[in-house]
Amino acid sequence: MSAGGGEVILRTENLGKRFGGFTALKGVSAEFRAGALTAIIGPNGAGKSTYFNILSGAFPPSEGRVLFEGRDITGLPQHRFAHMGIAKSFQITNVFPELSALENVRIALQARVSRYDIWRPRARMTGLVEQAGEILATVGLWARRDRAASALAHGEQRALEIGMALAAQPRLLLLDEPTAGMSPEETRAMMELILRLARERTVILVEHKMKLVMGISDRVLVLHHGELLAEGTPDEIRRDETVRRVYLGQREH
Amino acid sequence: MAHATTAEPAAPRAALSGALERHRVLAAAAFLAVFPLVAPFEALAVNILIHGLYALGFNLMFGYLGLLSFGHAALFGGGAYLCGIAIVHFGAPWWVAIPAGIAGAVAIAAIVGALAVRTRGIYFSMVTLALAQCFYYIFYQASDWTGGENGLRGVDLKAIALGPATLDFLDPRTRYYVVAAFVVLALWLLSRILASPFGAVIEAVRENEARARACGYDVTRTRLLAFVLSGAFCGLAGALNALHLSIVPIESMAIETSGLAVMMCLLGGMGTFFGPFVGAAVFLLLESIVSVWTVHWQLVVGAVFVLCVLFFPRGIWGSILHWAAGGGR
Amino acid sequence: MGTLGFDLLALQLFAGVALGAIYVLLAIGLSLIFGMLTVVNFAHGAFFMFGAYAGVFLAARGASFWASLIAVPLIVGAFGLLVERFLIRPLYGRGIDYPLLLTFGLAYMMVEGIRIAFGTLGLPFDTPESLQGATDIGIGFFPTYRLFVIGATAAILLGLWLFLERTRYGLIIRAGARDPQIVRVLGVDVSRVWLLVFGLGTGIAGLAGLLAAPLQGVSPEMGGPVLAEAFVVTVVGGMGSLLGAVVAGLLVGVTVALTSLFVPEMAKVSIFALMAVVLLVRPQGLFGRPGLLS
Repeated sequence: MSAGGGEVILRTENLGKRFGGFTALKGVSAEFRAGALTAIIGPNGAGKSTYFNILSGAFPPSEGRVLFEGRDITGLPQHRFAHMGIAKSFQITNVFPELSALENVRIALQARVSRYDIWRPRARMTGLVEQAGEILATVGLWARRDRAASALAHGEQRALEIGMALAAQPRLLLLDEPTAGMSPEETRAMMELILRLARERTVILVEHKMKLVMGISDRVLVLHHGELLAEGTPDEIRRDETVRRVYLGQREH
Repeated sequence: MAHATTAEPAAPRAALSGALERHRVLAAAAFLAVFPLVAPFEALAVNILIHGLYALGFNLMFGYLGLLSFGHAALFGGGAYLCGIAIVHFGAPWWVAIPAGIAGAVAIAAIVGALAVRTRGIYFSMVTLALAQCFYYIFYQASDWTGGENGLRGVDLKAIALGPATLDFLDPRTRYYVVAAFVVLALWLLSRILASPFGAVIEAVRENEARARACGYDVTRTRLLAFVLSGAFCGLAGALNALHLSIVPIESMAIETSGLAVMMCLLGGMGTFFGPFVGAAVFLLLESIVSVWTVHWQLVVGAVFVLCVLFFPRGIWGSILHWAAGGGR
Repeated sequence: MGTLGFDLLALQLFAGVALGAIYVLLAIGLSLIFGMLTVVNFAHGAFFMFGAYAGVFLAARGASFWASLIAVPLIVGAFGLLVERFLIRPLYGRGIDYPLLLTFGLAYMMVEGIRIAFGTLGLPFDTPESLQGATDIGIGFFPTYRLFVIGATAAILLGLWLFLERTRYGLIIRAGARDPQIVRVLGVDVSRVWLLVFGLGTGIAGLAGLLAAPLQGVSPEMGGPVLAEAFVVTVVGGMGSLLGAVVAGLLVGVTVALTSLFVPEMAKVSIFALMAVVLLVRPQGLFGRPGLLS
């Protein structure tokens, strides 16, 4: 586990989001340190997904700013996030279903090299295929490289998604409930994968299964009713009275 | 090849983007070269080739990118008018007039595309239809240039000077080979685009827009570029049609002409390489047969449309490919 | 410009409202159908044309215009019910483009069917006797029939509003337009609601065709341009928004009327320019919610 003491890579200032009359997120200010694995937890409806979606650029906040490596990235279009070095996996499995696993990763890699070239045959861009193979090996899908993504098992699709996120060579990797809907074995494998990835880059993870992340995270943020309730090391969070009341109390009798 | 998913039911499309492509273009060239010797129906064949080319341009948007445009008449008609105007009003030679038609269609595609790609899903179909209607009115109104209701007459091309040689464009067989040469060129360009990195982006955007965006692709710009490329193909088809008919009827811009591309593509098999030409051939053959019996050909058009959507969404060529890939789904 | 100029302007504005009323009826049907079924009815123009010809048919058999006002929407709406039940229903769950393609093909068949029954040439359509002439509306004389069109549209909108606000079906439709899931949770047979909404939307389109017939005559091709214009209204107002359909319909009508006054050669093109501006500034339309069509 890496130390959580690097520079601030991502910062949110007074972040808020309203949907019509409903306030999903309110005044969330937080810092994320480079090299750390930070988990964002909270009960259902706490605003985790809203927070994640703003961090990853799916939609802009109603108020506040997001700073990545000191740069204001609030409201930038989604595709720019990948260019800057922020990659994400979705909460719901989100791959290119009819393409092979290898092509899924290859196309993600290609985004860094060529986006509008209508002339060069891509069959000659063999480097991308090799890199895609390496990434598939990293996420444990090399043997399934020629399968259509839609034919993969659920856990494999999630792993493929993470592979696609890795293709962007992100300095910041955002994962939205990466173990949702997984069997215990798949969950264990996924957690191992995340730990391995976190050794080399900053990872922010949204999860509502609290137990799962306490063992692997450097820092934990707790959201409740759209507000930041607590922040600290897993131990601090475990001992925090308010957190126990609103969160642990409901789940772990 | 990057993704050899030939064992999957989804393979027909995936298989298209490989090295085989070159051979397909060669096969098409060989077929078109021999065809008039076997079946001497040049006039109909020229019509099929031009409309197949038009449907090919449309197919790039609908079949490959997944956006249903109902405004391609503006691109086809725009290409026809600009080519015609270059000849009628400026006495331009063919090698200026045809590029002028393509440029005109590309310009219209850029305008329509810039507005339409800002919208999504079925909004796109509605906006393209409406904007095409707008261009219909503009070309209808500008009768000094376009002949308005009567169409642009006098788009005459008698001969094509090609260095020392001169091709007699009035000779049906020569005309056929000239058009066929352009079609083979277009097929080659299309296969090149599909096999390019951008071809993969098109596929990705069709498959999963949100994912493509997260990968770092600008979906809006991708769509705009595809629309403009589509415009270039349709503009070429329009220009050839103007030269073939010697007139540009105002109906080239009408909503029915947009529907024609949709129809042919659907009938032949959307998202397949040769589907548009198969669709154009079957459609025009059917038209020439049915028209002998009844003037109400449009009723058949509508019925074929409805039946295709309900029972035959893969289209003819699409079904053949599906069957050849061993799919029984 | 003197007072005369002002009156002329006001009269032209009023004419724009009358034209807009027809657009409102078309767009509201499109929006209702889309909001509930997520189907864009590309045969909407053909249903409009069908309504006009249903009026011709009834008039030729001695029916009064007033009887047609009741009968035409019922006839056209009934046809709409059949279309939904037998042609569109098999396509649910098969992708959003299929109903669109199907209705486009259906429009061809309807147009040709009308040509077979009534001939290819356009027909005149007499303004009902009691609505001929002009009425003084304070700022000048205004064609009585156009006044009637405005009144009739207002009455239809009021009726529709009451239906949506005060009846059980109305409640279901409003809830369903917001979230189809809710309707299922409520334990309502969704397919019956869809059927009803398609019949309602097409019936209103037919009525719009009948109301428009004395203004522009009838022809088999009359639905084509109208479809494009109804799309403009829907895009400007925001897809699925009934308020948007009303506001944008009137806006488009007034835009056409004013440009025909000042730059008549631009009248047809002006509304597309309006749509272009809206797309650039607010792609989801004036009253549309962003992300609705994702």
